Amino acid sequence: MPLIEMTGVGKRYGTIVALHDVSLRVNAGQITCVLGDNGAGKSTLIKIMSGLHQHDEGELLVDGEPARFGSPRAALDRGIATVYQDLAVVALMPVWRNFFLGSELTRGFGPLRRLDIDAMRRTTRDELARMGIHLGDVEQPIGQLSGGERQCVAIARAIHFGARVLILDEPTAALGVKQSGVVLKYVAAARDAGLGVVFITHNPHHAYLVGDHFVLLNRGRMRLDRRRDEISLDDLTREMAGGDELTALTHELQRT
Amino acid sequence: MTRLLARPELGSVVGMVAIFVFFFAIADPFRQATSMGTVLYVSSTIGIMAVPVALLMIGGEFDLSAGVNVTASALTASMLSYQLSLNVWVGVVASLLFALGVGFLNGFLVTTTGIPSFLVTLGTFLMLQGANIAVTKQVSGQVATDNISDMDGFDTAKAIFASSFDVGSVTIRATVLWWLLFVAVGTWVLLRTRPGNWIFAVGGNVDSARAVGVPVRQTKIALFMGVGFCAWFMGMHRLFAFSTVQSGEGVGNEFIYIIAAVIGGCLLTGGYGSAIGAAFGALIFGMTNQGIVYAGWDADWFKFFLGVMLLFATVLNMWVRRLAVRR
Amino acid sequence: MTTPRSTARGLLAVAAVLALAAAGCSSEGGKQEEEKSDSGTAGVADTPRYTIAMITHEVPGDTFWDLVRKGAEAAAKKDNIELRYSNNPDGPEQANLVQSAIDSKVNGIAVTLAKPDALQGAVRQAVNARIPVVALNAGLEQWKAMGVTEFFGQDESIAGEAAGQRLAQEGAKKVLCVIHEQGHVALEARCAGVKKGFGGAGVVENLNVNSKDMPSVKSTITAKLQQDKSVDRVITLGAPIAITAVESAKESGAAAKVVTFDTNKELVGSIRSGDVQWAIDQQPYLQGYLAIDSLWLYLSNGNVIGGGQTVLTGPSFIDQTNIESVAQYAEKGTR
Repeated sequence: MPLIEMTGVGKRYGTIVALHDVSLRVNAGQITCVLGDNGAGKSTLIKIMSGLHQHDEGELLVDGEPARFGSPRAALDRGIATVYQDLAVVALMPVWRNFFLGSELTRGFGPLRRLDIDAMRRTTRDELARMGIHLGDVEQPIGQLSGGERQCVAIARAIHFGARVLILDEPTAALGVKQSGVVLKYVAAARDAGLGVVFITHNPHHAYLVGDHFVLLNRGRMRLDRRRDEISLDDLTREMAGGDELTALTHELQRT
Repeated sequence: MTRLLARPELGSVVGMVAIFVFFFAIADPFRQATSMGTVLYVSSTIGIMAVPVALLMIGGEFDLSAGVNVTASALTASMLSYQLSLNVWVGVVASLLFALGVGFLNGFLVTTTGIPSFLVTLGTFLMLQGANIAVTKQVSGQVATDNISDMDGFDTAKAIFASSFDVGSVTIRATVLWWLLFVAVGTWVLLRTRPGNWIFAVGGNVDSARAVGVPVRQTKIALFMGVGFCAWFMGMHRLFAFSTVQSGEGVGNEFIYIIAAVIGGCLLTGGYGSAIGAAFGALIFGMTNQGIVYAGWDADWFKFFLGVMLLFATVLNMWVRRLAVRR
Repeated sequence: MTTPRSTARGLLAVAAVLALAAAGCSSEGGKQEEEKSDSGTAGVADTPRYTIAMITHEVPGDTFWDLVRKGAEAAAKKDNIELRYSNNPDGPEQANLVQSAIDSKVNGIAVTLAKPDALQGAVRQAVNARIPVVALNAGLEQWKAMGVTEFFGQDESIAGEAAGQRLAQEGAKKVLCVIHEQGHVALEARCAGVKKGFGGAGVVENLNVNSKDMPSVKSTITAKLQQDKSVDRVITLGAPIAITAVESAKESGAAAKVVTFDTNKELVGSIRSGDVQWAIDQQPYLQGYLAIDSLWLYLSNGNVIGGGQTVLTGPSFIDQTNIESVAQYAEKGTR
């Protein structure tokens, strides 16, 4: 059974159709890539899955049961964690505070209930080390880490808190080649750990490096839905760049 | 060492020492222990409000109604008990509910409408300023409240909100101790509790805080209510220290609270700062305020010198922080 | 090509030309004339140098308090006194200033008691510390109970009543009382007094304006006069407001005449020209002067002016019949 299954999902903001008739599945241990240009509906799709917005057409099944998330917390409680490209972390806060933000460990009771700072620092250091990130000081503001490291901390955080589905919003968009490679390694590591991953990107090369399944969105609609063995990187790149429209345009512009 | 330099309040500590040394050198009365009692008192009246205002700023919001809310709570307590001839403690409790209500309203409007808190609280500031005078005139027929010093419960309330005791020749006001307590509580909440973590998060990056499940709305409303609580406390101090309240007072103080918080290292944009820093900011303000008088400088220039001092403290603060980042 | 040096020389030349031009264009009146008329200083007392703090509820920048300070400074100069003036309109803040004066161990304190309840504690502290305290301007009813030795000022409601009675005698039917600082006790008392003195002669209506913003004062009064044509007198509670009210009356085309509490240099001119009918004077210069001089007398010779009773400095009327005697002092800026 897929972890998440969407059938015919749609979303309108007033009279604007942001998403229409989108279907996709997220399986454990697999990476589903969602591709599309700006305004294709990628972020609306994420918002529905992560509980920031609700869909108004179609069905969203989690573990085979229909679901609607009222808040990000509700999605998190079902094991669906989202890592956003630009707002994954609070830059001025120390690494360990970011790691445990929203799920802080405490000890003591009543008015003496306080943060268990030592445990959180230790856990942060250990969890990051397990993913191969060795930070000298988890007390430093996370804003001082590189973009790739920040994404990795956010991914490590999601895994630590028992995410079964990891939604990654353009994790490589703002990164250089080397940094992107680091992040893609952790995306693969998350898959190998048995998580279902939704990898949102507009870079078909990055998608093809790790993806098992590709969904292409265009102006809120699904243009393409292929397994890895059904499509080559070249085709994916061509589809991403405009597909048949591009072919038509190429003919049109060709000198006779 | 690097850890120490990165603390938000460090700049304000340096500024505080500098201003202390300055006035110690030039103003004779400043050197006496008795004067320190007055300096501490003046600082505490700002400092008690600077704590929740700093927390609110770290949480990314402003409250311009903080100053008049102090007066509004004092008026509420005073008029309610006087007009209905009740024990003053009834008024004290009722005004607490009122002040918390104002805080809740601010927080509710800011989080519901998404309008910047600067505008929302500017609205409540003007509303309270008008209501303070209008209601007071309507109820008591004048612009100040009636003296309540002979009413039941006044003495116990005064003992809590406005008493003082002597340590040697120095008179220490109760507000100084309350101030220390509030700073301690503020620091504890900020650094050692979950809500503290949330405060930093909602001020630093509200979207990411929301995405990881931080209750953004509740956190912000609670912060505004914290300002309401301390405004109530200062209102009670004013009422029981002076037995009567002028309805036009408190206007303009909101900026002094914000200045104290900023000198103490709070970022105007939110997400960074400390309660202890705000306390040092209040102390800088209190020392400057009194030091200028002790030094006997021309009163016409008072505000000018105050501005120079504050600018000096802020620049120093920034300079120290930059030094800290470079290491 | 200009070197820094030649630039500086050029600037100097320009400055010199400007200065010459300015001197050539000098006009009648102005600051120079004012200084010429300043009389010489009297002798200075040979008593020890005392330090006296004067602490008022002045809203910074009010001409009334200028006169109080000038009076205080004149007395301080004569009596070999170091005067420390400070002010804050907020009651508890003013109390802090009194406390600071005590901390500074001054020899005497002169204080206004506009917010007597707020100041009570601090004044008691001063009295306990054996610092003589005199009050001025405000606090007529409370000063004795607070341990203050002397008081110089006027009774605001008596002054208001006097104004009200005079308005009634003049046959006014509808009076507009302009309160320029909403929430100020003494101002409210004045308007209440006007109402009482006016009695059954007609209606007294209060109008709140914001004295920190003169254009809005002007437009508020103008609007009121346009809206209510039956207003035949506007009474303002401060000289600068009176001068603005005259402009409002002209602008609105209303027949209302302007009268006022308190005077300053400009107002004397307005009374002379008939723009303002009359002013109630409480002699602010005298209040400041007496407060300091009385402390000097008390410190150097144990004298108490007024023998434990209120020393009234007003109210008296200034109108066209006696304006000339006031005018010469107003020119100097002491009335």
